[in-house]
Amino acid sequence: MTEQYHSATAPVLAPGHNNKSVTEKIAGVVLTQKTPKGWFIVFAITFMVMHAMVFSLGSLVVRGIGLWGINQPVGWGLDIINFVWWIGIGHAGTLISAILLLLRQQWRMSISRFAEAMTIFAVMCAGLYPVFHTGRPWLAYWLLPYPNTMALWPQPRSPLVWDVFAVSTYMTVSIVFWYVGLIPDLGTMRDRAKTMFGKKMYGFFSLGWRGSARHWHVYETASLLLAGLSTPLVVSVHSVVSFDFAAGIIPGWHTTVFPPYFVAGAVFAGFAMVLTLGIPIRKLYGLEDYITDKHLDNMAKVMLTTGLVVVYGYFLEVFFAFYSANEYEIAMAHNRFSGPYSAMYWALILCNFIVPQLLWIHSFRRNTTVLFIVSMFINVGMWLERFVIIPMSLHRDFLPSSWGFYMPTIFDWGAFIGSIGFFTFMMFLFIRGLPMISIFEVRTLIKKPAQGGGH
Amino acid sequence: MSSQTMTADLSGFRNKAFFAGVAGTVACMAGALSNSDQFWRSYLLAFIYWLMIPVTCGGLLMLHHLVGGQWGVVLRRQLEAGTRALPFNLILAIPIALNLPKLYEWANHEHTAHDKILQQKAFWLNPEFFLIRLGIYFLIWLTLRYLLNNWSYDQEAGGGETAKDKLRNVSGPGLVLHVLTVSFASFDLGMSLEPHWMSSIYGFLYIVGGALTTMAFNILVLARLSEEEPMSHHVRPNHFADLGTLMFAFTVLWAYASMSQYLIIWSGNLPEETPFYVKRFHGPWLTMATFLMVFHFALPFFLLLMRFNKRKKAIITKIASFMMFMRLVDLMWYIAPAFHEVEEAGHHWPHWMDFAAPVAVGGLWVGVYVWQLGKRSLEPVEVHRLAGGHH
Repeated sequence: MTEQYHSATAPVLAPGHNNKSVTEKIAGVVLTQKTPKGWFIVFAITFMVMHAMVFSLGSLVVRGIGLWGINQPVGWGLDIINFVWWIGIGHAGTLISAILLLLRQQWRMSISRFAEAMTIFAVMCAGLYPVFHTGRPWLAYWLLPYPNTMALWPQPRSPLVWDVFAVSTYMTVSIVFWYVGLIPDLGTMRDRAKTMFGKKMYGFFSLGWRGSARHWHVYETASLLLAGLSTPLVVSVHSVVSFDFAAGIIPGWHTTVFPPYFVAGAVFAGFAMVLTLGIPIRKLYGLEDYITDKHLDNMAKVMLTTGLVVVYGYFLEVFFAFYSANEYEIAMAHNRFSGPYSAMYWALILCNFIVPQLLWIHSFRRNTTVLFIVSMFINVGMWLERFVIIPMSLHRDFLPSSWGFYMPTIFDWGAFIGSIGFFTFMMFLFIRGLPMISIFEVRTLIKKPAQGGGH
Repeated sequence: MSSQTMTADLSGFRNKAFFAGVAGTVACMAGALSNSDQFWRSYLLAFIYWLMIPVTCGGLLMLHHLVGGQWGVVLRRQLEAGTRALPFNLILAIPIALNLPKLYEWANHEHTAHDKILQQKAFWLNPEFFLIRLGIYFLIWLTLRYLLNNWSYDQEAGGGETAKDKLRNVSGPGLVLHVLTVSFASFDLGMSLEPHWMSSIYGFLYIVGGALTTMAFNILVLARLSEEEPMSHHVRPNHFADLGTLMFAFTVLWAYASMSQYLIIWSGNLPEETPFYVKRFHGPWLTMATFLMVFHFALPFFLLLMRFNKRKKAIITKIASFMMFMRLVDLMWYIAPAFHEVEEAGHHWPHWMDFAAPVAVGGLWVGVYVWQLGKRSLEPVEVHRLAGGHH
């Protein structure tokens, strides 16, 4: 890249490293170091938890969608909550790898790979729910517009159809971006692999990478183009998800601020998940030199900012309910404050509004314990937010005669908890098999002695 | 360093602005004699347009104190001068405060007596509370203006890190206040012109739109300042490229928010929301809507995508001037049809005073701004952060 002019303040890589130490440390996590016991424990637990999902969804296929708690008037329950929650979590990866790359933020380098992997696994989890919600997942291809003898086409005015395109594009671009970013490191891994199997696998996937000037040139161009392609996706995917609700007229769904508010919420949730997984893994593998206080501080700041945008959304929802002077909108606000699910609403305010305000304090932003706790609150809070929006708006709409109550069943919870297991399982599989920090990018962060200038 | 040596001679610029302002004022005065209702409508449009610039100067300044970046180092003096012009906007607000019933249905007792919904909304939309809120917004903006300028002065006078910390510490909460005050000011000044209608993204549109206007304005000022000492030493093509990129980002965000608002209201198709668009999809307003799509989004999108256009001062200033004009068209599209009924809006064209009033207010405002710009040194405060363009 051409000129890089940013102020380097706190280090994004601890001092005293050289090319060799960086490569050995990061590649060593996969290749030479003994796998920590903690890894096996987490791997085993998450593998078992994953089967809650396998069982729940398997039963659903066999016995039908009546196993879930959804019915009239709440046709969207935990399935859509989880879909939106997972899609949101994926957004940190795209933001870090695309937008921060274009903004030339160096601190992105050591967390991008990890966050991108999270994106892919989160989108995998997300995609499951709408597919199973169709009730006949083997017919899910009907969602795609293809010429068919039934002369049936998806309704192009429906945001649900836009979702199909938004999410599948998101998945495709995320995988390609992540894989392209891996190629130079796969070359390194191939060269360092001790086993024949490792040599063959890394060799195959590194596509003959030799690190020549030409290779690097092509690589830089490709990653810049992919970053440009991914950038609109950061905004568009969750905006389309927000249209699923805002395009309807249910009070609590139909409000114009939804798109930017959902996008902010997605980034908020995504960074919380990066910290939730990143903090223990950093500790487990002793990666404090690579994921430094600077990273924690920056991620906390992003969470604080996006969290405030989300709170701005909550505030506007309430303000406009009363400003509208519309009795249904006002009833919606009262239902949130004191209806049957009001505990969820107040828990949401605690998790997403009150607790994240701790991040205003400088020392808390660098304290892993505080950050981990705050990020857990946010994970819960963002799930609650979707609960407040989806079933809480649906269960009491215009006519009291059509009101109802929604209670998730054990199969709803099984699919949800199982997906958390699946996600964590995949993440641990990833850190065992691939370098979780970009080796070649971190190498560029090494300060060359007696050479203060630019790159 | 003495401030005398470090200020550019902007008297010619200032005089031209004042002249345009006075000419516009005379024209509007003449217009007011023949059509006083229209005069107040056009004046409100001009007031909002020129209010967003000093207010957003404060917002961008705080953003810079928080996130840094060279764009803010070169713009800092201009942004500070922008905030110092705010008291003039407060004076401009007085005529509006005195003429609320002429502008706002809800302030007109004869009107609200027959409107049940407006009576229900009266807890928010009533003249007294409106003026109190307007007072609160200005109080917050002026307080931030005072702190940001004062501590910047301290930093320059050798306060160094302490002053810098103070600036950074006030900027976080300050930005939160900025977002809230601009949102609510936009609901009050703009959205409540059609008091039955509402859109929760309206504040976001004003924040982003204001940022776009302000960025365009600052590019023009920087281009002028970079012709002379001291800024001619510091400003590089890359700075213009960065500012152009920010302008690009705000343009895209504006399009995104406008599109989202339209799509959601169109899909919902509710009787209290659609009149806003029905009104604006007839006659000249429909032409204007198309014009906005092409010239407020598509054209600047492609022009600002190319780095060449952003680096060349001659080109970026043309784009910036054009964007300042397009911002006025956008605001006009929001404000002007609001005064007409749905059925007849299509028969009304934008009035000539909708163009003359922004020139009048703008000329005077720019005059005040340039006067403020000349009062402090133009040498960037953290000039070391610019050295050579490298860290």
